[in-house]
Amino acid sequence: MMFVTGPLFAGKRDYVCRALGCTREELAARAVWDVQDLAADAPDAGALAALADRLAGYEVVIATEVGGGVVPVDARERAAREAAGRLACLLAQRAETVVRVVCGLPQTLKGDSSCWSI
Amino acid sequence: MMTLVIGGAASGKSEFAEALARQFASPRVYIATMQPFGEEALARIRKHRDRRARMGFTTLECYTGLATACDALPGNASVLLECLGNLVANERYSPDGGGEGAALAGVLCLADRCRDLVVVTNEVFSGGSDYEGDTLGYLRELANANRALAARADRVVELTVGLPNWLKGGPTQSEEENPH
Repeated sequence: MMFVTGPLFAGKRDYVCRALGCTREELAARAVWDVQDLAADAPDAGALAALADRLAGYEVVIATEVGGGVVPVDARERAAREAAGRLACLLAQRAETVVRVVCGLPQTLKGDSSCWSI
Repeated sequence: MMTLVIGGAASGKSEFAEALARQFASPRVYIATMQPFGEEALARIRKHRDRRARMGFTTLECYTGLATACDALPGNASVLLECLGNLVANERYSPDGGGEGAALAGVLCLADRCRDLVVVTNEVFSGGSDYEGDTLGYLRELANANRALAARADRVVELTVGLPNWLKGGPTQSEEENPH
């Protein structure tokens, strides 16, 4: 599994399409994105790990970095942001390759992304 | 050569961009985009303008309409533009702004006209997407401009704790020999 992360609107899905050589329409069959939004539904660490295990079955998993702002005042938002960060760490552990995309430019943080088409 | 410098608040991006631009050949122009609101801002702007003058930069203030302002540049100028975040906000929200896309169009016009260009932009995209009003629209426009300029630029560098992380290209030999 390849885990792709990066800030909002950074061009993550466009990068994955280029890496896989597929269109945006074909992407849904091979990748899952916005997984940061799934983390809030995991009630505990075990559920979060199970979610990471399930997501690791995809060819590519994409998450938006959401932990870079001020700590949210709302407790639910705080917990959701925390879970999103933890999930990203678990996914990075399970991934053979981790790529961070900034301004549309990929940077490999783990493994070797050269086996992908770009 | 065009270089895009991106970083969060107080990441050292301005100092790094200035160090890059100081090595440019004359004439050197600094394009300032922050609209002065109040006496404190004016005093700060005067201070920075004097400092840059000592470094051999003339200052061109441009809040909107960069494509037109380009005409006032000397031929073969090298330019430091700071910053894209302001420019997008000015074009998007000022009464005399050109609206969506105007900021990017202005910078692309600038890139065509000057010899060396450093553009400073902001990393403000890692704090979630739960915003009120037009903030998400602003973020989308700034991100679109960042990606377009990153594609166009010869070099892209992200600043963290004052340190450069080159995402595209890298330092020139002269920059390596004269680190900021």
